[in-house]
Amino acid sequence: MNQTDFNRRQLMALMGSAAVAAGLPGSAVAQDAALKFWAPGIAKVGEKDWSDMAKQSGIEIAAIAKSARADESIQKMVVGDGNALYDAMTDNGGGMEDALASQGAIAELDVSRIPNWANIEPRYLDGGAAADTIRHEGKVVAIPYISNADALAFNHDVIGEELSSWEVLFDEQFKGRAALQNDFGPTLTNTAIYLKQSGKQDIENPSDMSEAEVKGVCQFLIDKKKAGQFRTFWDGFQNGVDLLASEEVLVASCWEPIQIVAGRKSKKDIRYGTMKEGHQAWNNIVMLTRGGKERGMEEAFYKLANLYLSPWFGARTLAGLGFTPQMTGVVEYVDANPADFDADAKAAIKARLARKQERLAVPGNSWQNVFPTQIRAYQDWWSRVQAA
Amino acid sequence: MSDSTQIATGGDHPAGTCRLGLKERAVTWVFYLPVAFMLLFFALPMALTVVFSVFERTQFWMEPGFSLQAYENFFFSARLNNFLSSMYYSSIAVVICFVLGFPIAVFLRKSVPQVAQHRVILLFILPFMVSEIIRIFALRPVLQRNGLVNSTLQNLGLIDEPITVLIYSHTGVIIGEVLSFLPFIVFAGFLAMEAVPKYIFEVCDDIGAGPVARFRDVILPLASPGIFAGCVFIFVNGIGVALLPNILGGPGAVNAGLIATQAIAALDFPLAMAVSAIMMTTLMTLLYIGHRIFDLTKILAPIN
Repeated sequence: MNQTDFNRRQLMALMGSAAVAAGLPGSAVAQDAALKFWAPGIAKVGEKDWSDMAKQSGIEIAAIAKSARADESIQKMVVGDGNALYDAMTDNGGGMEDALASQGAIAELDVSRIPNWANIEPRYLDGGAAADTIRHEGKVVAIPYISNADALAFNHDVIGEELSSWEVLFDEQFKGRAALQNDFGPTLTNTAIYLKQSGKQDIENPSDMSEAEVKGVCQFLIDKKKAGQFRTFWDGFQNGVDLLASEEVLVASCWEPIQIVAGRKSKKDIRYGTMKEGHQAWNNIVMLTRGGKERGMEEAFYKLANLYLSPWFGARTLAGLGFTPQMTGVVEYVDANPADFDADAKAAIKARLARKQERLAVPGNSWQNVFPTQIRAYQDWWSRVQAA
Repeated sequence: MSDSTQIATGGDHPAGTCRLGLKERAVTWVFYLPVAFMLLFFALPMALTVVFSVFERTQFWMEPGFSLQAYENFFFSARLNNFLSSMYYSSIAVVICFVLGFPIAVFLRKSVPQVAQHRVILLFILPFMVSEIIRIFALRPVLQRNGLVNSTLQNLGLIDEPITVLIYSHTGVIIGEVLSFLPFIVFAGFLAMEAVPKYIFEVCDDIGAGPVARFRDVILPLASPGIFAGCVFIFVNGIGVALLPNILGGPGAVNAGLIATQAIAALDFPLAMAVSAIMMTTLMTLLYIGHRIFDLTKILAPIN
C-alpha cells in the first residue's frame, strides 16, 4: 500500500525529528507520559472513569473512546495517523491482529515482561484456533482481555423451558418472534454451525466458508425470512436489549451482555443457553502500537497487559457485563477476597463461569474470523438476505 | 474622470480613494469566500467520491486504477433491489408528508396573522433540537408490541392482538421518515406560498372557486417549485438516513445510506463510494428534471 508506506515513512521521519529536536531518547520522553489507550468502555472495570484501572496497573491512562468497527481501526491505523495518536489499542482477535501486524501498525510483544502471562487460559498456548487470534506469523502481537461464545438468549418466563439448540431460532413455533444480528459475520457463522452440526448442509469450516457454502447458508436464511420467521435483525447493543426486554422477540442470537442487561431492565427471566451444535467464539485483544513502542511506552503497556491477565480484572469483567476472563484462578481470587464480592456476586460469578466453560467445551464451536477468504461472497449474499 | 478611472490609469488620486478601492476589492473577495469554501469542501469531495469509486479494492483500503467492479457489485446484485425498494418507500413517505404538511403551510399563510407566521413556523424547528437518534428511538415505546398505541387500542377494546406492522417493518420506516422529515415540507411549503399573493384567496372567494379547484388550479401551479424542492429533500433523506431502517425496519431493512455504511464496515471502500456517487447522480437527475418542469429558480422569485 503506497499511501500506508508513505504515511509510515513520514511519521517515522517526524518522530525522529521530534526526538532529535528534544535531545531526548524515546524512553526518557515516555517516563512521565500517560499511556494513550484507544479502547471501548467494555475494556475497563471498577470506577466509571479509568481511575481504578490506572491505580491497579500502576500507570497513567489517557483513554480515548473507540467503537468496535473494523473499518475504524483500519482507517486510523493503516491509512491514517493512528500510530501518532495511540500507544495501545483494542480490537477483535481472529483477523484484526493479522491485518494490523501485516501492515506494521502494531508491535511484537515480549510475553516474558508480563508476569501474569503464566495465568493465561491454556487455549491460547496450544497452537489451536484461539492461539492464532493473538499471533501473527507465529509471534505474539496481542493479549486477550475478554472473550465469549455467543449463544441464544430466550425469555424463560414465556417459553417455560431451557433451550439448547439453534433449531428454535428457525422453528415455526417462534415465527415472527425471533431476531438475528444484522451482521454477516456472527449470523452466518452461527447459522453455518447449526446447519453443519445438524447434518442439514455440508460445511467444512463455518468460520471460513467457500462461496458455495455461503450461498447455501444464505439461501436457508432467505427461505426462513420469506416465511416470516424473523421479527428483525438487531443492530447495536441497545437495540438488542430493547427487543428482548419488551418481549418483541422471545428468542435472539446475541451477545451475553445484551441478555444480562435485558433481564435486569425488564425483571424477566431472560436466559442464555448452551447450544449443542456449537457457538461462534470470539475475543477482544489489546495491542501495543508501533508508535507506542517508538515513543518508549512498552513498559506502561506491559503493566496494563499484566492487569488484563490478572484475576482482579477477570473477576470484575465477569461480574459486570459477563465477559469471559482470559486467565485461570478467578474463582480462587473471588474466594480470597470476600470483602469485594458478596455471596450473591460470588454465586453469580461461579454460575456464569461454569456456563461459559460448558459453552466453550462444545466441540462444534468455531472461532471468529474477521476477514474470511471469500469476504466478497459473504457481503454479496448477505445483501441478498437483506433484500429478500 | 471618475475615481475608478483614475486608479485604472494610474493618474493622481487622493489617498482616501485608494483605500476605498482596496475596501471594494476586499468586499468582492469576501463574496468569493463561500464559493471557495463550497469548491473545497463540497465539490472536491464529491468529485473524489466518483474518482475513488473506480479505484481497485485492496484487502484493507483501495489503490489507484480504473475498475467498474464496485458498480458491477451494485447493479448486478441484490443491492440494486434494496436501493430501488428504499426509493419506493421513500416516495410513499414524500406523498404522506405532502398530504399532512402542505395544508399546514397553506393554513399558516392564509389564516395566521402575518406578524405571527414566522413565530408559528419556528415551532416546527423544535423537534430538531433533539438528536435524531433519540427522536427515532423514542418511537419504539410508542409503536412496539406492548407500546403506547397497542396498549391504548387494547384497553379501549378496539383490538385483541397487538398490531405488529407498526414497527420492524416497511411501515415502521415510513412512519419514522414522515415524523422526521415532515417539518421540511412545512418549511418548503411556507416559502413556496410566498409565490401565492394573499389577494388570490379573496379573488377565488369572489369567483366562487371551491377548495379543490383553488388548490389544483391556483395554489399548486404557483407553489410547485417550492413543493418540489421540499419533496426532493425528504426523498433524498429517506434513502440516505441509515438510522431509520436500522432502528425501525424489519429483518435486513436497508436503504442506500445503510448499504454504504455496511460496505465501509466490510472495508469495501470503492463500493461505498459508488453507492454515494449513485445517490448523488440520483439527486442531480431529480433536480434537473424538476428544474425543466417547474423552473426551480422561481423558488427565489418572491425574495427577488
